[in-house]
Amino acid sequence: MEDKIKNPEINSQHFGTNLSLESIKIIAESIGIGNLSDSAAKELSDDISYKLKQIVQDAQKFMNHAKRTRLSIADVDHSLKIRNIEPQYGFICKEFIPFRFASGGGRELYFQEEKEVDLNDVMTSTAPKAPLEVTLRAHWLCVDGIQPTIPENPPPLSKDAQIQDSVNPIKKIEKADLKDTSGKPAIKAHKLKTHETVHIKQLAQHELSVEQQFYYKEITEACVGADEARRAEALQSLCCDPGIHEMLPRMCTFIAEGVKINVVQNNLAILIYLMRMVRALLDNPALFLEKYLHELIPSVSTCIVSKQLCQRPEVDNHWALRDFAAKLMAQICKNFNTSTNNLQTRVTRLFSTALQNDKVPLSSLYGAIEGLSELGHEVIKVFIIPRLKFISERVCNMQATDISNTERNAAGHIRALLAKVCAPVLKTMRPSPDIIEDYKRDFGFLGPALHQSVMKARQTPSTTPTASTASSISVPSVTPRITSTPIQRQISQSQPSQKFFVTKAANSPSTSSGNIVKIQQNNPQKIFIQAPKTVFVAANTQEHELEIDDLSHLE
Amino acid sequence: MANKNDILAVLQVLKKYNLKGTENLLRQEANLTDIPENFTHDASDSVLQAYQSEGDPNSYESCYIELRKFVDSALDIYKYELSMILYPVFVHMYIELVYNNHEEQAKALMEKFGEEQEYYYQDDLKRLAMITKRDQMSGNDLTDTFKSNEFIIRISRDTLSLLKRHLQEKKASVVMNIINEHLYFDLYEGMARNKKQCDATAGALLGEARRQDNKVKVYYGLLKEPDYQQMTTTQAPPPEEDDDEVQDGDKPKKKKQKKDPLFSKKSKTDPNAPASDRIPLPQLRDNDKSEKIKALREAQKRVNLGPDSLPSVCYYTLLNSLYSVTCAEISEDSSLVAIGFSDATIKIWPLTPAKLRELKSAEQLKDIDRDVDDVLVRMMDDRKAETSRIFTGHSGPVYRCSFTFDRSLLLSCSEDSTIRLWSLQTWTCLVVYKGHLNPVWDVRFSPHGHYFVSCSHDKTARVWATDSHQPLRIFTGHLSDVDCCVFHPNSNYVATGSSDRTVRLWDVLSGNHVRLMTGHKASIFSLAFSMCGRYLASGGSDKVINLWDLAHGHLVATLEGHTSTIHTLCFSRDGTILATGALDCNLKLWDFSKLCEDLSGENVNVSHNPDVRSGENYLLRTFPTKQSPFIALHFTRRNLLYGVGMFESS
Repeated sequence: MEDKIKNPEINSQHFGTNLSLESIKIIAESIGIGNLSDSAAKELSDDISYKLKQIVQDAQKFMNHAKRTRLSIADVDHSLKIRNIEPQYGFICKEFIPFRFASGGGRELYFQEEKEVDLNDVMTSTAPKAPLEVTLRAHWLCVDGIQPTIPENPPPLSKDAQIQDSVNPIKKIEKADLKDTSGKPAIKAHKLKTHETVHIKQLAQHELSVEQQFYYKEITEACVGADEARRAEALQSLCCDPGIHEMLPRMCTFIAEGVKINVVQNNLAILIYLMRMVRALLDNPALFLEKYLHELIPSVSTCIVSKQLCQRPEVDNHWALRDFAAKLMAQICKNFNTSTNNLQTRVTRLFSTALQNDKVPLSSLYGAIEGLSELGHEVIKVFIIPRLKFISERVCNMQATDISNTERNAAGHIRALLAKVCAPVLKTMRPSPDIIEDYKRDFGFLGPALHQSVMKARQTPSTTPTASTASSISVPSVTPRITSTPIQRQISQSQPSQKFFVTKAANSPSTSSGNIVKIQQNNPQKIFIQAPKTVFVAANTQEHELEIDDLSHLE
Repeated sequence: MANKNDILAVLQVLKKYNLKGTENLLRQEANLTDIPENFTHDASDSVLQAYQSEGDPNSYESCYIELRKFVDSALDIYKYELSMILYPVFVHMYIELVYNNHEEQAKALMEKFGEEQEYYYQDDLKRLAMITKRDQMSGNDLTDTFKSNEFIIRISRDTLSLLKRHLQEKKASVVMNIINEHLYFDLYEGMARNKKQCDATAGALLGEARRQDNKVKVYYGLLKEPDYQQMTTTQAPPPEEDDDEVQDGDKPKKKKQKKDPLFSKKSKTDPNAPASDRIPLPQLRDNDKSEKIKALREAQKRVNLGPDSLPSVCYYTLLNSLYSVTCAEISEDSSLVAIGFSDATIKIWPLTPAKLRELKSAEQLKDIDRDVDDVLVRMMDDRKAETSRIFTGHSGPVYRCSFTFDRSLLLSCSEDSTIRLWSLQTWTCLVVYKGHLNPVWDVRFSPHGHYFVSCSHDKTARVWATDSHQPLRIFTGHLSDVDCCVFHPNSNYVATGSSDRTVRLWDVLSGNHVRLMTGHKASIFSLAFSMCGRYLASGGSDKVINLWDLAHGHLVATLEGHTSTIHTLCFSRDGTILATGALDCNLKLWDFSKLCEDLSGENVNVSHNPDVRSGENYLLRTFPTKQSPFIALHFTRRNLLYGVGMFESS
């Protein structure tokens, strides 16, 4: 119906559409008239089509007056009533279109499914819940011409617009003088256009109101402060408030800066708080973070693979932070992976390179494994399982007596983690009789532990449907992080020789702007030679991509 | 000849009812004795007979192509006016073909040229294309409309002579016949119109308005308000005065004299205003007077709106109401809201903390001293106060409600083709007005109470008085459903909007239609008069708001911007801002004062069409809601805007 109204041009098929003769004959058969002649069927189909169209057109009037855009059964009833035809009382349909489609023998057929209903079942079943009563609720749609950003109002910049904005920057230039959504009049731009013949791109102005500045200050303080209750409130606000879109660049910079500084100072608590902020922003349904990933991904990946995240690595539970950040990374990949940014491929590559290198510290190795395992079964199968033996060797080396407690602890964590994440995958990959010798042969030191967990996994009846044959791709039902199979294929056929990034020289206009962070290899303590002074930096993703790249070679 | 046909029709009726005596008398008087007794003369056929044609069915297509070629090759200044005749000629060609049982040719014609007609005619063409047989034509609304009315085209003298020359040269009898029989050219002197001007007023079911349709003078001015101060000083002081706790009788009088300008600001007589007794208006009761004074007091505290001081909007969302709410209405003083449901109930909520109280029972009322000042308060029973009330009585969806000014009565109209009057004091149904034949789409009280107007699927609008069960006036003339209606602020006129895509203004006194305004391209669902009474705004499923000048019936502005049906319009109390709400979940505010300023400079008269202004310059702001389409808008006395909508969770 809407289509009809929207596209009055597309109506060639609306002129003179009639019920087919076959339909008429089938309906005739269903009421016991076996041999309806063609001419009779034609006559009937013309007449019925005409009447049906009239009824539907009248029903449309009832729909309009009920202020709806969807035709309902009641509308048809009413339109029958004004034609003095008995309405189809009691015709209630749970689904929108009650017809099923079947085809075969070159015939296509739509039919109505009629199930037999056992009255006893109906009688004994509990009555359905009564619908909720209609209630009236008031809120301010606008105050003195400005729309307050409260949950009842739509976000000032809709998510679609945000997506458009980050995916297609040209849109912004085209629509420069039509902006009305933010609630501020756009008279200035209009005036400028009439005088200037050359279109000069205006400097991006980004002003926050006093209230917004205050909000920013309060939120950031609460998020990293000592008061847990206040932090919970602040995080709640970040995760629900539709109006923080304008502050988003500052929030992201705050997080990125915070991570940079606190990773150097090994301040585990603050890092956890910052990751929780990332989580809250990710959860906010009104925000689209793609434009700020260049700040978030380095921060998050730092928290996954950094060599040291806390003051006392032997005691503090920095493993939890790595796990949490890895989950965040998986969520980011899931939400923002597109064919143009190849996010998941790049993140996977970042982690997998860590697995190739035997000089990576154990804590980073743990992070890399965790990061990969969160990306789903297929990733584990392709990237972790083939490296198990290599990891085994490293873990085995740590069992020597002259190794520090910290290292041994890390090795234990890696072992537990591998046993946990690899078991479900190994279970589907390997044939059923699990022989401990085979495992030892294939996976070295970790063999027995893996064998044990696989055995355990086989015994517990899996609630999730797992593919029985090794060849089929298992459905990542536990953590469905992988978004689409084509990307998996890309990963599995990964061409390691292919260069990952566009070289910096090719397109990096603002290398001199002073905000590039140079990372010295093998010395994470010196990550920040030059901390950026400007808070709001023009997004240049490529520079930051290099950061990610470098982070993976941290050690 | 036509005369004879009429008499034949009468004869047939007489025959049908077996009135032999009258029939014979009439036969003698009309010298028609030679007519056979049993002439079979189908009534519907007689009107359709015009379509009887011996023309070659295959020539229609070439005729149409020729006409189109002529239009295309005409000079640009005439081209657009000429192109207006293509659609009616096409329609009548189709009907002629169908009537003469040339189904194949008719279908071919529709398929070939249907799509190239203007987009706003496509809906009608779709309905027309349904008809492919002669017997389907009898009783069909659309063909009845086309065959019994002429399609009106405004045309300049030069363009018409050009057309006539062409027709004479070509001797295209098919086209010539159609033009002679079914088209009416409203001739005017001067330049032919351009495309934009043609399009602005095109789109109605049967072409444009004739000039003579809009010639009658319309008294669009406001009535002189009675001097409430006079009334209050001579009679009992209104309840508000009690709050001041002034015991001395002299003091309040002095006070009031100072307030004089407020109460008598409309003392100048407006030349465009009707006489105050043109329509008998109900006597004001004490209650009405105190209410009026209260309104004026509040109006004093009103915020003056403008582009720089936009109103605040309070939005009422109806939760858990998906597709069950059909209408919403807020009372004039913004204290009550009535919601109509598709399950035939009406629910009333107060928008203030005050509860909905009920009148005491007759026994209790007997005991109340009638001379007490607060007798009205004492009559109400506080114990029976509730936070919401439900009216049940209708048997179909409730399409519109309307409050009286003093909030004592509520009207509702429904699919069951009745209108009900409800008391908001006893909370019962008082009257059921039966008269409409089909679902009633809209009902509105007159601003002065007592009268109300309703409109229906039966193509009529009716004016009623609350104390009579029969309508006082029946306005017929619309060619399709009358979808909305509204009283003029001076209660002398009624405006109606219809699915025939015209807006009409009717004089309540005479019952004639005094303005016919074309320009909408789809059904009209909302109407609102400006505060000054001179302009009328209308909106509907063509997603535009048209503003009409009632002085001459001209379309003065078309405001575009909405992307779905506009169901509610509201002018701010100071008449500076027009607020519109649509099913696209957007509220738009338009600068009406700027538009008025721009218009005042223009010199307009009946024959000269002013340029139609477009909306971009007047749009002040758009406010989207969260999946809540607008079903009602209302400005409070202090210019706060209320919106009502239902939440459509995705």
